[in-house]
Amino acid sequence: MSDVVVDKVLDLRGLTCPMPLLKTKKELKGMKAGQVLEVWGSDEGSKKDIPDFVNKKKHEFISLEDVAEGYTKYLIRA
Amino acid sequence: MDDTTFLGFAKEDIKNAYSTVFENTWPLWLGGVFMGILVLMVFLWNFPWGVTGGYRNWIEWLGYVVKIKGEAPSLSPLLHPVSAGNAGIIIGAIGSALMSRQFKWQVASGREYLKGIIGGTLMGTGVAMTGGCLGGAFYSGIGVFSLGGFTMVIGVMIGAYLGLRLVLWEVESLPPSKQRIAKEKKGGFDWKKIHPAMGVAVFALAIAIMYVYSYFDEAKIGGLCLLGVIMGLVMHRSRFCFVRVFRCPLMTGDAEMVKTACLSLTIYALGSAVIKWSYLQPDTMGVYHPVGLGTIGGGILFGTGMILLGSCASSALWRMGEGNTKIIVGLFAFSIANSVARTFFLEWDLYAYFGPSIFIPEVLSWHVTLPLYALFFVGWALLANWNEESEKFVIF
Repeated sequence: MSDVVVDKVLDLRGLTCPMPLLKTKKELKGMKAGQVLEVWGSDEGSKKDIPDFVNKKKHEFISLEDVAEGYTKYLIRA
Repeated sequence: MDDTTFLGFAKEDIKNAYSTVFENTWPLWLGGVFMGILVLMVFLWNFPWGVTGGYRNWIEWLGYVVKIKGEAPSLSPLLHPVSAGNAGIIIGAIGSALMSRQFKWQVASGREYLKGIIGGTLMGTGVAMTGGCLGGAFYSGIGVFSLGGFTMVIGVMIGAYLGLRLVLWEVESLPPSKQRIAKEKKGGFDWKKIHPAMGVAVFALAIAIMYVYSYFDEAKIGGLCLLGVIMGLVMHRSRFCFVRVFRCPLMTGDAEMVKTACLSLTIYALGSAVIKWSYLQPDTMGVYHPVGLGTIGGGILFGTGMILLGSCASSALWRMGEGNTKIIVGLFAFSIANSVARTFFLEWDLYAYFGPSIFIPEVLSWHVTLPLYALFFVGWALLANWNEESEKFVIF
């Protein structure tokens, strides 16, 4: 996914349910259609919550990747 | 498949089954079906399912051991039925998290811990009024035909709204809290590699515990622990959490958990009707949730607190099992607040003001109650579905 241009990065590491989903939703609302949001999160539940939410709300879930530093990167197109 | 021998076939089969159970997240509805069946087994085995009494037993024992509390609780945590069930859920969740390689110590920011303490305190106080958490008062309450289960829905809905408003205010008005994550250790032994083997050992230990209880003529307690282990596995794999019933319709509009709760409660209530109507257990068993101030006022406190903590008391057990430290801190606050509030309410005779407990079929008869239940679940699921599309109740 190195060809995806990220417009905004949201660092949600250390936040727990429901904050990662709440902040992701709020951020996406402020973005233009087509822009890409990269979310960094450490909450295990977000791995299901964020893709489920994004897919239901007609955004595009691009990818999810566990990185070596111990957190997860999500790429979402608004 | 290259190896067509029986052993080769069995190995491939086991590998596929492992992947299905521990590598893929279960659909929520499947968790709901399993939970409905498991709580009925708990009901038949002993008493309707709940978790708060177990937490209180633990904290009161701790208070006794560190000499804050003068008198020891009447039952040891090893012999307390709810304590044994809770321990089972934690063990099952640890086993499940290890086998799915999801066990990880999750550290949070300082503000998150503070929210956990405030949320836990509100929840613990609220539960002292409602007579149970979302598992014991909402889910089991409705499941065993206690009207208090329904009035708690009203309180928790209001509380969830207030809690969400609070966290929205936090997001909009306060600077972001300092982010923290548990650092992955570089070099040394990679524990993750042996997590599945450790998970197998945990489940083997859980089965051994059942035999130990049985050996000491306490099979009932051992059985509750074992049922708890299965619940821990089910709840962890499906990420089953009652908070989502009340939070999601207001936050994202998502209806999945509402529909799951309706499905699960249909199974619970149908089984419970069979048990109660045929007197396999006394028909008013588990009906102790006060209709009125107790479940509505307590529900508001609980609902607000659960949004701040990010968990209800029952899902906190499996979240603890996967290494969530905020939940552990919040549960300490929950248990202390619950024990203190309950003692206060008892000493000041306040339970008399919280409302009566009402067994619905005693008022309406079974013949009217059961169709009303069906209508309620269908109506609630339809309303949640409509809200998912229209976002009518979504607050931001």
